[in-house]
Amino acid sequence: MSDHTISITVNGKTEEHTIEPRLLLSDFLRHQLGLTGTHVGCEHGVCGACTVLFDGQPVRSCLMFAVQANGHEIMTVEGLAKSMGNLHPLQQAFWEAHGLQCGFCTPGILLTLLPFLAENPRPTEAEVREALSGNLCRCTGYQHIVDAALLAASRMEFGN
Amino acid sequence: MSIGISPYRVDASGKVTGAALFPGDLTRPQLLHAKVLFSNQPHARMVRMDTRAAEAVPGVIAIFTAADVPVNEYGLTMFDQPVLVGVNANGRSPVPSDVSRWEGDQVAIIVAETEAAAAAARERINIEWEQLPLLPDIDTAVRDEILLHPEHPAQSNRYHHYKIRKGDMAAGWAAADVIVEGEYHLPNQEHAYLQPEAALSYVDEQGRVTVEIAGQWTHEDQAQIAHALDLPPEQVRVIYPAIGGAFGGREDMSLQIVMALATWKLHQRGEMRPIRCIWSREESIIGHHKRHRARAKTRWGATKEGKITAVEAEVYMDAGAYNYTTNKVMGNFHLTVGGPYEIPNAHIDSYAVYTNSVPGGAFRGFGAPQGCFVAESQMNKLAEALGMNPVALRLKNCYRENSIGITQTPLPAGVSLPQVIEACAAKAGWQVAGGKWQVAGEESPNLAVSSPPISQSPISNLQSPFQSLPPNPATLRFGRGFACAYKNIGYSFGFPERCEATIELYGAGSVERVVLKHSAAEVGQGTHTALRQMAATAVGVPLEIVELVMSDTAVTGDSGSVSASRMTWMAGNAIQLAAAAAKQEWTDEDRPAIGHARFTPPATEPLNPETGHSTPNFAYGYVAECVDLAVDIETGHIHLLRVVCADDVGKAINPRLIEGQVEGGVVQALGYAVTEELVVRDGRVLNPRFSTYLIPGVRDIPDAVESVILEIPDPRGPWGVRGMAEMPFIPLAPAIAAALHDATGVWFNEIPLTPGKVAAKLRDA
Repeated sequence: MSDHTISITVNGKTEEHTIEPRLLLSDFLRHQLGLTGTHVGCEHGVCGACTVLFDGQPVRSCLMFAVQANGHEIMTVEGLAKSMGNLHPLQQAFWEAHGLQCGFCTPGILLTLLPFLAENPRPTEAEVREALSGNLCRCTGYQHIVDAALLAASRMEFGN
Repeated sequence: MSIGISPYRVDASGKVTGAALFPGDLTRPQLLHAKVLFSNQPHARMVRMDTRAAEAVPGVIAIFTAADVPVNEYGLTMFDQPVLVGVNANGRSPVPSDVSRWEGDQVAIIVAETEAAAAAARERINIEWEQLPLLPDIDTAVRDEILLHPEHPAQSNRYHHYKIRKGDMAAGWAAADVIVEGEYHLPNQEHAYLQPEAALSYVDEQGRVTVEIAGQWTHEDQAQIAHALDLPPEQVRVIYPAIGGAFGGREDMSLQIVMALATWKLHQRGEMRPIRCIWSREESIIGHHKRHRARAKTRWGATKEGKITAVEAEVYMDAGAYNYTTNKVMGNFHLTVGGPYEIPNAHIDSYAVYTNSVPGGAFRGFGAPQGCFVAESQMNKLAEALGMNPVALRLKNCYRENSIGITQTPLPAGVSLPQVIEACAAKAGWQVAGGKWQVAGEESPNLAVSSPPISQSPISNLQSPFQSLPPNPATLRFGRGFACAYKNIGYSFGFPERCEATIELYGAGSVERVVLKHSAAEVGQGTHTALRQMAATAVGVPLEIVELVMSDTAVTGDSGSVSASRMTWMAGNAIQLAAAAAKQEWTDEDRPAIGHARFTPPATEPLNPETGHSTPNFAYGYVAECVDLAVDIETGHIHLLRVVCADDVGKAINPRLIEGQVEGGVVQALGYAVTEELVVRDGRVLNPRFSTYLIPGVRDIPDAVESVILEIPDPRGPWGVRGMAEMPFIPLAPAIAAALHDATGVWFNEIPLTPGKVAAKLRDA
């Protein structure tokens, strides 16, 4: 099968890449671009660990081919913080509220919450739970994750 | 003091930015890729294997099989499993190498330029198998028509047996006014850590075969690799990068030995390139052990005043194809099947049975969840039979200071179970009135709480604009259940227990920098954060100047495993000793001042083979839980409204981390009790995917989990610490079963309580 050349914007940077057409978006991000913060936990769209933003909307990168991202904008967890010393408020809240244990599910949860909180800046706890219902976590029992999301939402600077 | 507070996790910044590297994220220049071939044979003898077609696949570098393994055996407590199943093993292990006893037995490791080439080659390995009679379950295996392990001295598939013989059973039954009998069935449980197994391996600059992997005990991984490769341990190096959950599931070997083998063999051929292997979720679920499935028949007697007079039990555990840690897990089941109660007369037999099923092994609680389900279900039935409040019944019988345990020796000092039970009951809304425990404002001595009106039920809080199917109030029933438990902290039954720590102090006039070197595996529980807090406190410096060097056998000492709720307890003791030694060196003007310690706790003993007499453990944790639930009697769907968990942690080093263990443990136990059903048929796991094996999602969790953290010091724990990470898991399933009975009047003796099973049993009742 012949390779394809795609133009893709990842975390604000647009580049051309030549790829094999069956390459999954998750594998492209992890192994071709070295963006290993996108984790693969189940390979069939159930766990949500590989969630990235596709033109601003959360998608399961394990269920997409990289070629489908041709001409589109992808954001991974590496694109959230401006720098290590300048975390996104959502990251800051997960840090402060102990919203993680092993941390494998965390990038997918952050990228699920980002557009959700942009659309629902003052969610109820029940709405946060609903928003996270497609992401699995085996460590935390979810409560600290929900707390972290609510803490992030409570901060005025969020969304700026 | 840097303990008793909740500073942020040391690993959090890497985990929220994506910078943290898990094993599958690691790479090196010139990387090669590996795939493991599983036998896919629950019981078969290999007649012939032909790898020529596979080797001809473009990009294939090498294929390693049983013939390449220097000592073809492994096992944490007994060597009973071939590293690779195959013909032409060199015969240096007594374990027959040519028989696959489990579908997850490994047969070959294929190394290639790309993952795709390795996968293509794996498809082209031709194997001829001779099918052997299948022993899919305990009942078939105990007939001993064929021995799974003819090399085992037991000469029976029922290869391990523990006994308790205490008191006079005839007298115990004679003194009983009521007798409660039960037969219980416990299922397998899959760990389902989010990070599937992966490893990077290479030979380091000092010539050590090195494996970077997620595990629970660096030095045990090192020892197992060294044994199989017939290398001195110092020739093997194990490093843990970020670990994506473990829960006991990473105690045994997955990729450790085969990756070291492939790397070492290639190195001998002059091929120096590093190798990486990443398992899929399906490979992870097929390829590692589970919580044991088991069954128990039991009979308890008590006086009409509620004093237990006798306990008889017979336990069978399905070890699966290999021992893993079954003999130790069964020891815990054995100690807990009588509950945390003073029992004057006991007769208990526990058996481990080899089958062709997936091996059972370590999983949070390590046999105690199974034992607790049996014991606490019996206690709740006794309470019903006696017309007694279940809290009062427990307080009448539970272990307290100076109690003699089921193994006929005193419990280690610091027994806090009565306080734990009372704290849980009080938080849940019971109170003492007229000398009796009862629900506030309720006359009934029974457990039943009156069902709260639906409009006030917390379930209505969960109705969001997104919800499509609100519950039907007409078919909801409400109930409350109680259970308590104890579990050992640290290794049991005479297994050598130790923990090393090194503390280095840097500076001139004053200590400017402290380095803690330690092997504790950070599996998500927060141990690195807690150890740093303890090191700062032990040295007497601010937290900010303590640096960590962790989990690399080349530079950190043997810590033992993160398991058995032991690491804070053991490492805290080792850190105190190392800090004292370092401070002495500092006083002696050594720069840097280096203190190293190897802490050993009081010795434990194996069970006496005839009576079970022993001092099996040096410390215990105590926990009690109360569950309020709603069940839809039409659909069988259970929803937990509230879980109160009282856990004596001795001293909370980091309260937020402890809450995280309580909430996480409760939800994992909710999975065990309600949602998770591993279907194992004819030696095969039929649902090895997250779409069919259902771990709890956020919509499944209790409306509220309330932690009651008690701090009653363990006299031998550092700063009074007790281990705690397993405890919240243990009593939840029987508390749910009791609440379900309270709601419906029906006892459930089997888990998981999936909707279909609950609805069917309620229809039949």
